Amino acid sequence: MALENALWRRRVSDHPFFFSAASSLTQHLVVESLMLPVAPQTTSYKPLPTFVEGSTPGILKEQQYLHVSVRNQGSSQLKSPSWTKMCHTEDEEHLAQLETEFLPTLSLSHAHQPESQFACCICSHCFPSGLFREEKVNVGCVPKKVMWNTAVHAEFVHDHADYGFETSGVKFNWRTIKEKRDAYVRRLNDIYESNVKKARIDIIRGYGKFTADPQPTVEVDGKKYTAPHILIATGGRPAVPSDSEVPGASLGMTSDGFFDLEELPRRSVIVGAGYIAVEIAGILSTLGSKSSLLIRHDQVLRTFDSLISSNCTQELENTGVDVWKHTQVKRVSKSSCGLLDVTVTSAVPGHKPTEGVIRDVDCLLWAVGRQPNSEGLCLDRVGVQVDPQGHVVVDEYQNTTRKGIYAVGDVCGKALLTPVAIAAGRKLAHRLFEGKQDSRLDYENIPTVVFSHPPIGTVGLTEEEAVAIHGKDNVKTYNTSFIPLYHAVTQRKVKCVMKLVCTGKEEKVVGLHMQGLGCDEILQGFAVAIKMGATKADLDNTVAIHPTSAEELVTLR
Amino acid sequence: MLGNATGFLHHSGKNEYDLLVIGGGSGGLACAKEAAQFGRKVAVMDYVEPSPQGTTWGLGGTCVNVGCIPKKLMHQAALLGSALKDAQHYGWNISQPVHHTWSVMAQGVQNHVKSLNWGHRVQLQEKKVKYFNIKGSFSDPHTVRGLTKADKETVVTADNIVIATGGRPKYPLQVAGALEYGITSDDLFWLKESPGKTLVVGASYVSLECAGFLTGIGLDTTVMMRSVPLRGFDQQMASLVTEHMESYGTKFLKRCFPTKVEKLKSNRLQVTWKNADLDTEETDSFNTVMWAVGRAPDTKTLNLETVGVKTNSETGKIIVDASEATSVPHIYAVGDITEGRPELTPTAIAAGKLLAQRLFSQSSELMDYDSVPTTVFTPLEYGCVGLSEEAAVQRHGSDNIEVYHAYYKPLEFTVAERDATQCYIKMVCLREREQRILGLHFIGPNAGEVIQGFALGIKCGATYPQMMKTVGIHPTCAEEVTKLRITKRSGLDATVTGC
Repeated sequence: MALENALWRRRVSDHPFFFSAASSLTQHLVVESLMLPVAPQTTSYKPLPTFVEGSTPGILKEQQYLHVSVRNQGSSQLKSPSWTKMCHTEDEEHLAQLETEFLPTLSLSHAHQPESQFACCICSHCFPSGLFREEKVNVGCVPKKVMWNTAVHAEFVHDHADYGFETSGVKFNWRTIKEKRDAYVRRLNDIYESNVKKARIDIIRGYGKFTADPQPTVEVDGKKYTAPHILIATGGRPAVPSDSEVPGASLGMTSDGFFDLEELPRRSVIVGAGYIAVEIAGILSTLGSKSSLLIRHDQVLRTFDSLISSNCTQELENTGVDVWKHTQVKRVSKSSCGLLDVTVTSAVPGHKPTEGVIRDVDCLLWAVGRQPNSEGLCLDRVGVQVDPQGHVVVDEYQNTTRKGIYAVGDVCGKALLTPVAIAAGRKLAHRLFEGKQDSRLDYENIPTVVFSHPPIGTVGLTEEEAVAIHGKDNVKTYNTSFIPLYHAVTQRKVKCVMKLVCTGKEEKVVGLHMQGLGCDEILQGFAVAIKMGATKADLDNTVAIHPTSAEELVTLR
Repeated sequence: MLGNATGFLHHSGKNEYDLLVIGGGSGGLACAKEAAQFGRKVAVMDYVEPSPQGTTWGLGGTCVNVGCIPKKLMHQAALLGSALKDAQHYGWNISQPVHHTWSVMAQGVQNHVKSLNWGHRVQLQEKKVKYFNIKGSFSDPHTVRGLTKADKETVVTADNIVIATGGRPKYPLQVAGALEYGITSDDLFWLKESPGKTLVVGASYVSLECAGFLTGIGLDTTVMMRSVPLRGFDQQMASLVTEHMESYGTKFLKRCFPTKVEKLKSNRLQVTWKNADLDTEETDSFNTVMWAVGRAPDTKTLNLETVGVKTNSETGKIIVDASEATSVPHIYAVGDITEGRPELTPTAIAAGKLLAQRLFSQSSELMDYDSVPTTVFTPLEYGCVGLSEEAAVQRHGSDNIEVYHAYYKPLEFTVAERDATQCYIKMVCLREREQRILGLHFIGPNAGEVIQGFALGIKCGATYPQMMKTVGIHPTCAEEVTKLRITKRSGLDATVTGC
């Protein structure tokens, strides 16, 4: 018991204080909250004497900030002094964690140690979209997938007749789905907020930035807060070229604006070759907007395996997206009727650059990369280093260059994915408060899905990466391309392509890349096996499930 | 391997072929093609005995003609039917009611099946496998003879013979009118006109799958089952599957068994059945009555006794050892006709290929029938691999297993306002040490696609912590498997979402 007490006292000082941001299309950032026991009569964090300051960092001025802090100082009873739990706020994830894990444990814990109390705080630093109701509706992967599902129905419409359904005069109403989607996301937000409240988490809303105090301190609306552990999880936001680079660039929108569209644009221009560009171009085009995708090189998704970048580029063209290769926007201007004219330069290697104008564009969307939300935080005051792009520099344990300050998620610029941020946050919590010294996220073999048409699933090394690491002679790939059974009776045929990248004599699977119907759901299980070190022989020894697309992966020859 | 040696001994020009395969279904064709790859002289005999209703089909066996392929396509049609309803919630205005025309769907499905029949013929030709469209019967251990359609006797001799004649749906012959008026899955996919109001009798996966897609394309469909659904599968999952079907519109007559089928003047079929619970007799009329009361091998005409191939007297199936050898050294059997093997296409294919490799390519690799994944393509699909909870309890004791589970809501259900009550995942693990996974059960959309990769992981010996170490793919249904944290033992609510 003595030891336990000592441990407990040590942890008492471990009050966490987190910055976090809401999600946006690429990055789905997470509010992670940690809970930990605090000694009686000890406050978890203390608002310091305040001074009012009116300046807000210029670049962030249009954005809403949200700070959340959590605090619990009741007569809470803890099962064990080292008890720590964490919740996160991202759509269903949050519900799952809060409702099924966090809250029951919380109430369970209360039954044990009447004298203890706990405190925890999160600080959420929220960019255009908010996690909670007062903020704008989230713009992350959930609404994105809702729109993708909507578009999938457009594909089904083509197939109904082939499957015997007589449908005629099918019309699409953008408003219906927008209202539904917003209502759904609002509902989720409500639940997060109520769960956060249930978990007795204080929410502090406002801008947050570090001060020059000797102890790491965050100031919000003139009030100062400090904690032994501060997590930066402010995420990122879409980048837009400046008007000096591209005159009129600011007339365009970003992925965030996509979710604000009240009507399906008639004429869309999407700039970028990354997965956000691919997803949005696919959704808009499938739903019936005449869409052009402007890319700098000749293929989209250039960091993906070559099979995926070439196949996806081809599928975009097959589904009617007008892909402008080797093309960049030169200027944007507003025409008299309020629509945009987008002037582009196409410079096919070996040819003279040509200029063209895409007229009457009602949706110009920049998807040319993302920027970390780190500028306004005054990180220099606490010695938290950022890279030239502004990403917070962290080690593999999410430590920044300042002790007691950590960062997870998109603000670190690595693997911009919701579950990655969640997992990293969770691992950090276990390391800080559960004594698991080695708890860290393994950034290898993180499975990723792009909700293109058809969807892409990828995990591990691309063939190109595998060759670079292991040498050409040590890399063997298995490929297949087939028409999924679903399309056996449809006039519309969309193929499925798959590539397995193996290395060494034992043919260890180091990469899996595929695009086709169902690849979004196929990938997860294979990712488990690949992470476990599965070999080609293991795949061969697995009995197929017939008839599926997934079975092609265990019957590759 | 003795059989192998014997086979080579006989190959002294006495027998015409190195390998004769009787039965051109999944297992037989896979074995024949594989053997041909090794440069062997191979023949395949295939003959489709017309169903009692007169339905017949081409080369490829049950899976291609009257099983997996047409079933999955009609399942896809039913899913599209549901998607039509969902579409309205996604902003698609589709004028109601939407009619479904059976003949259009069936034509599409049948055309695809015919293209596969043709594909198999072409492949056999390409691989120089001789094809006989005859019904074979043993006349001695190395000789099989049969009549062609033109009544011409054909005699084929081979060093090695593989029996892969599969099975056919059973008729409940004790039920008056069953044979006369009822159809089976052998007929359903080849119907030119809609079956209309249909009674499906049986609790097998065939029964539930057929009833599911018939309901999905808008037909009034009833399932009659005497006992538990999906016997042999995890029973909690089985109940969820039927529960979902009920909410989906399939009617269920539980604890009932038919006693007679009569044809009414209206051409409708009047079915009389007994309700075992109420001990009452009830009747109703249907356009179609389909039997899905099990499958049985058709071994009688093979004349197995003459050559000494032993069968199980109860099931009629051929008894084989781990190398698929029968009681006669150079005669083998694969697929549904073999005793104690799963009745699944992929296992038959894999077993057939491995057998050919052992016979002709100095391989000793045996088919591993453990951890065979499978999926039931009911409207809400059910995929599983490994042990059911019951089997795990029986084998290891309930104190020694940990069951992680979750009720989750697929994102595609939320906007569509679909009920996700039965979307459920269960992972059965050993409780001790590294918590090795014994079984995984998944009910939800795309279960077949979801479970395949996990089956690989489980085959590699995946443990619970390894599963949890994998980063989820958001937002998918499959990611829920990597997020299972609630144990049954804890008694905590396993619902993933509250809205």
